Amino acid sequence: MRVTVMRGLLIAAALGAGLLGSQRVSLAQSVGLPAPRLLTTMPMGGTAGTQVEITITGEHLDGANELTFSDARLTATRKLDPAGAPVPNQYLVTIPADCPPGLYEAHVRTRLGMSASRIFSVGTLPEVMQKAGNTSLANAMPLAMNTLCNSVATARSSDFYTFEARQGQRVFVDCASRGIDSKMEAVLVIADAAGRDLVVERSSGVIDYRVPADGNYVIKVHELTYQGGAAFYYRLSLRELTADAVAVRHPSTRRVSAFSWPPVGLPEQAALGEVEPNNDKDHVQKITLPCDISGAFAQAADVDVFEFDAKMGEIWWVEVASERLGRPTDPSIIVQQVTGTGADEKLTDVAELTDIPSPVKVSSNGYAYDGPPYDAGSPDVIGKVEIKQDGRYRLQITDLFGGTRSDPRNVYRMVIRKAVPDFAVVAWAQHMELRNGDRNAVSKPIALRGGATMALDVVTVRRDGFDGPIEITMEGLPEGVTAHGLKIDAGKTRGQMLISARQDAPGSFANVTFTGRAVIDGTPVTRQCWLASHAWPIPDSWGEIPAPRLLADVPVSVSGVDLAPITIAPASPEIREVTAAEKITIPLVQTLRSEFQGASTDLRPIGCGFESAPKLTVSLTSDKSEAVFDLAALKLPPGDYLVAFQGSAVAKYRHHPEAVAAAEVAKRQAEQMVMALDAESKKLAEVAATATPEAQAETEKSKTEIAEKQKAAAAALAAADEKLKQATAIAQPQDIVDIVTTEPIALRVKPAESK
Amino acid sequence: MTLPKDNVLNRFRFGPGLLMVLALWGFLSHTQAVRAADAPLSFTNDVEPVLTKAGCSIGACHAKAGSGQNGFQLSLLGLEPRDDYEHMVKADRGRRLSIANPDQSLILKKASGQLPHGGGVRLKRDSAGYAVIRKWIEQGMPFGAANEPTLVSFEVQPGRNTVPPMGQQQLKALAHYSDGTVRDVTSTALFESNDKAMADVDTEGLVKVSDIAGKAAVMVRYQGRVAVFSAAIPLGAVVDSVPPSKNFVDDFVFANLKELGIPPSPLCDDATFLRRVSLDIGGRLPTEEETKAFLASNDPNKRDQAIEELLRSPDYADFFAAKWTALLKNRRDDASDLVSNFAFHAWVRDSLLSNKPYDQFVREILAATGTVIGNPPVAWYKRVKEPKNQIEDVAQLFLGVRMQCAQCHHHPFERWSQDDYYSLAAFFTQVGRKPSPVRGEDLIFHKRGVATATNIKTGAALRPAALGDVIPEIAPDQDPRLKLVDWMSSPKNPFFAKALVNRYWKHFFQRGLIEPEDDIRDSNPATNPELLAALEKHFLESGFDLKEMVRVITRSNAYQLSAIPTPSNVKDRQNYSRYYTRRLQAEVLLDAIDRVTGSSTDFTNLPAGTRAVALPDNSYNRSSPFLRVFGRPEGESVCECERVQSSSLGQSLHLINAADIKAKLADANGRAERLAKEERPAEDKVRDLYLATFSRQPSSDELKTAVEYLAQVPTGADGMPVDSQRASRENFQDLLWAMINSKEFLFNH
Repeated sequence: MRVTVMRGLLIAAALGAGLLGSQRVSLAQSVGLPAPRLLTTMPMGGTAGTQVEITITGEHLDGANELTFSDARLTATRKLDPAGAPVPNQYLVTIPADCPPGLYEAHVRTRLGMSASRIFSVGTLPEVMQKAGNTSLANAMPLAMNTLCNSVATARSSDFYTFEARQGQRVFVDCASRGIDSKMEAVLVIADAAGRDLVVERSSGVIDYRVPADGNYVIKVHELTYQGGAAFYYRLSLRELTADAVAVRHPSTRRVSAFSWPPVGLPEQAALGEVEPNNDKDHVQKITLPCDISGAFAQAADVDVFEFDAKMGEIWWVEVASERLGRPTDPSIIVQQVTGTGADEKLTDVAELTDIPSPVKVSSNGYAYDGPPYDAGSPDVIGKVEIKQDGRYRLQITDLFGGTRSDPRNVYRMVIRKAVPDFAVVAWAQHMELRNGDRNAVSKPIALRGGATMALDVVTVRRDGFDGPIEITMEGLPEGVTAHGLKIDAGKTRGQMLISARQDAPGSFANVTFTGRAVIDGTPVTRQCWLASHAWPIPDSWGEIPAPRLLADVPVSVSGVDLAPITIAPASPEIREVTAAEKITIPLVQTLRSEFQGASTDLRPIGCGFESAPKLTVSLTSDKSEAVFDLAALKLPPGDYLVAFQGSAVAKYRHHPEAVAAAEVAKRQAEQMVMALDAESKKLAEVAATATPEAQAETEKSKTEIAEKQKAAAAALAAADEKLKQATAIAQPQDIVDIVTTEPIALRVKPAESK
Repeated sequence: MTLPKDNVLNRFRFGPGLLMVLALWGFLSHTQAVRAADAPLSFTNDVEPVLTKAGCSIGACHAKAGSGQNGFQLSLLGLEPRDDYEHMVKADRGRRLSIANPDQSLILKKASGQLPHGGGVRLKRDSAGYAVIRKWIEQGMPFGAANEPTLVSFEVQPGRNTVPPMGQQQLKALAHYSDGTVRDVTSTALFESNDKAMADVDTEGLVKVSDIAGKAAVMVRYQGRVAVFSAAIPLGAVVDSVPPSKNFVDDFVFANLKELGIPPSPLCDDATFLRRVSLDIGGRLPTEEETKAFLASNDPNKRDQAIEELLRSPDYADFFAAKWTALLKNRRDDASDLVSNFAFHAWVRDSLLSNKPYDQFVREILAATGTVIGNPPVAWYKRVKEPKNQIEDVAQLFLGVRMQCAQCHHHPFERWSQDDYYSLAAFFTQVGRKPSPVRGEDLIFHKRGVATATNIKTGAALRPAALGDVIPEIAPDQDPRLKLVDWMSSPKNPFFAKALVNRYWKHFFQRGLIEPEDDIRDSNPATNPELLAALEKHFLESGFDLKEMVRVITRSNAYQLSAIPTPSNVKDRQNYSRYYTRRLQAEVLLDAIDRVTGSSTDFTNLPAGTRAVALPDNSYNRSSPFLRVFGRPEGESVCECERVQSSSLGQSLHLINAADIKAKLADANGRAERLAKEERPAEDKVRDLYLATFSRQPSSDELKTAVEYLAQVPTGADGMPVDSQRASRENFQDLLWAMINSKEFLFNH
């Protein structure tokens, strides 16, 4: 995706520096080097035990030739035309019968590496495709009961489906959209046979309908603001359920906040359930600690009150999940000590527990990003309760968003435990923070150009007082790729993962193991590091709200063709040793593969302990620079460190230059063919001039054949010429600003020599 | 002396001069009866009323916000005597008063015109008011004794009476004090009529009624107290019969008409009824098929069935959602408002479609939490951000009470004080906001804590209290807004149900039982209080069922009266003796024109064929001159008055020759084109046109005129007759154009 920046420098100059060494950019400049992104598959899924033919679309999918999934049971082959040649962008996906229903990541391998993924659903219902033009009652598409339809919302219109139903029948209409990466806020309507609305649902995408009378009914589907097109796809299922059946909805992707749930080792089901009525002091539910309770904010302004005894000095940790379970809730907890009884009862506040704060400042929705466009915090709760006196305590849990809403689906799980120190980690690709109102939020696959170093932000939510350092590791990398974690320091919440590809790394791909590691109470602990990404490249988050989510896998790939515009690396890979009181100069080497705007760029240090180190000015015209660290000023304790530098630069990037060479070859071949045919035609004319009357007929036939071949060759030449023009135009150098990260520098700080 | 209880003074029996003499004599003799001439005067009880009566303390003069007028400041209508005393006696080193020579006091010289005074002569030297102030200065300008009697109540006599057309009624204002004394304060009370065309009142409390029959009220104010005189002005015509009563609405409407002697018009015919009720409930014309079927039906219940059909239809939800979303300020200020505006409008519309009980509808708005996408009423908090705006909107929209005045001072027409204002605002002080990813939107939640709002004048931190009612203490964990809605939706609430039924009554009858519909106060009584009470009771008993309210109103014969006045009721404008005609509102008219011309209006982002009444917000006004000129509201105010219902020259010109109207008439797929091409008798086509446009069959004269017109062959620019196809097309366009410019089309009647 290219984001054209058309905002003035005057405003940019007025704004403060961003985290990534804010870059002023000139007019008509794009942000972010091209990255491959799989955007749609049609259909968006299939039935287990079937083979599905799908068509894909996306950005920068040049050279796409392989469709893969986050689960190896799902396989795909390219669709072939009758001549046995692959049909562009079409695949046959085989879904084995033993593939569990659910959501999977689909990605496609391109010349730039593995694309950003798109959700592919596996279900159990028979699936059909939307009938074209079903945008009126007259052209409504009949939908059989217990069927799923893969559809795309039509702009400024509703899609119409009809079904027959009997009085008393329970019909469950479920529309998956946002939960499968679609941009669609689905509106579902059940209408009578004349199309008059009976029931409308605009937020949940589901209608559980008891049919009032035998007859034909209409389902209308549209986007909340009547947007439509390929990005607004949906999977609409129509099911008949028995009266007492538990309705199971289409699965959904997980919000970024869900990375911190559940705590490791938590049983699938809670040991206890809330027992209503437990809404006030006269109806409290007695519990003993520790405990693990499930409940629901089922009624409007629901309050669930629990009471327990506790001893002085005890510290209890309370964790609640509800929003992280995918519910639109905001749980809040009040713990109070209860003294006295009856009319003399007195309550004293002990703790008020609300949100899990984001580990790092999230971008506001202001003029430009002033933090990452990812929120790893949650309205859920992790907090502690310190007991100062023996006695009786009352805990009440409410949903701050539930004052007027009655919905038994708004469940929660509350765990009250003695401290079990732990942590959860999540990572995402960094975003540019430009001082010019740039608000693009994009999916960034870990698809590396040769010589590139890509940085991921890694943040942690810590549990139950764990405060130690967290190392970040990535294993199972593809050939030619190395990864270095800049650890999350003790007491901190943010680190980085740097992933570098050698300049000569071949095109390769691997699903890697990404972890955070720490020692907790003397025991090594390893936790999965989730990767988060935006579902869509959003050019401007004022006009469209980004939808970040957790990914099911961590694909790392290398282009093998395209190279990074610049590589900055220490001249020598060895660990450099330095004493705590010294200055050290690290020679760096720049490999420039592009021209750049400006003669130099400033990079700031990253890596814990080096935040206050001076910025590094890197020349964009020469191949050497030096980083200087004053260990006395940094006051780093002895130990091993990794440090890197990060900033941005505006490269004159050429997109897909090898296509120009290929087009040139093709054009030359076409020219040669034309020339050869011209020569043959000329020769034939000479033969014809001297041919006997008997041979004339044969000669004329040959002339006709040659003429046809000449015509085809001329057309082929014209096409080759056009292709060359297009490839040349695409490959024209274009100013693109992107993040530049150096390869890490390893330092060993030794104790200062005593004098 | 006390005036006779039945103090009707008909001007044909008594001349005005005699009347004044009687009134003055009555006032003086009463005052003498209760107060000794040399008794010490009180600033509060004696001086302040004189200043107020003289108009010194109105907002345009010395009570102007800020610093009053030329440095002399008084409280509005003398509601703050202590402050006024300080300003008058002590401010500017006491230069306004001269105890040594009271007549030389600046205040008297200015008020009597002896010195230049911007406000003119307010107190003549020989007036009683002048004498009171002079004497008070002479007495040393006391504020008053600590134990002086205080005003405890105020009344006007009589409270109500029947006054014949062109008759008069002298009012007497009586102030009751804490020591048991009663003073006649007619000369210092303020009198104001709520309908000067029906009943005017002079400064001395003499009411003169006109020949317009009905109910009029005179508000009488004294020292922050308000009393009301209600006059019934009978027409006195003989009401031989009224239509049969179909429900309690008819009982009360026709009883009132009988009382006033106003004969109702007869019931309207079927065609008129169907058009009227379709426009009033569904915001649309009936289709030709509906009209044909309705007119052909002999079912005695067909009118009730038509009402039910309309209430079931999404048209009802669309039309009333348009009404509510404007009042709820669903306004597009920024392109990024699109999603929230669509969501909120849709939520309102769906709520109406599913007939969500009104109390629940209001609860979900006022106590909204979460995100706009998850809970669209949160959008209200996007538009109405501050607690004071929130309570002002809530009070006016849902309670029919205008609280704005009480933010800065005691309400001049009402019993509401600043404490009442800020106590109400306190309900909204714990509305928490968290940032959201969406530009301009916050996540709304209840922020734990004790809700209080600070009275800006006294500095007192006030707990939530409802208007005139006590709310039990609200715990920090409880959302005060839920308690407010509990109070609002209580069956005993004196405002909530009343405000809604009055608002809906106005929707169908063009005039509220209380007018304006959102200014319900003791001093603005209903024209038919018994009917209002009965509607309120019915609404409560129905469980706040909005559709039932529409049903009970539209089923009544009172609603189904003809709009054509009789000679006897032609002047009636408030007793519902006939249906009061009203121009179709902007969206309905645009839809109607689209319907009859067979064209459509394209609205950005919305599906083709979307009706104007289903538009989600005001943004479409920008692209539609039609909607603007016909007064579609911008969602700026909670007042329905923002919708312009009056007619204007601009509207006439637009209908006559605006480009969009011409384009609709000449639409290539439009009705005129289609009719021109159809091979069938012109009479049939004219009948269809009348059905589509006026929802009736043409009369024989109309049919003849129209057919003759269609047969004409106009000439072109070259003076030659145009070809027959073009002639036919243009003739149909002309005919349609004439019909949509007729009052019968433009008005609901």
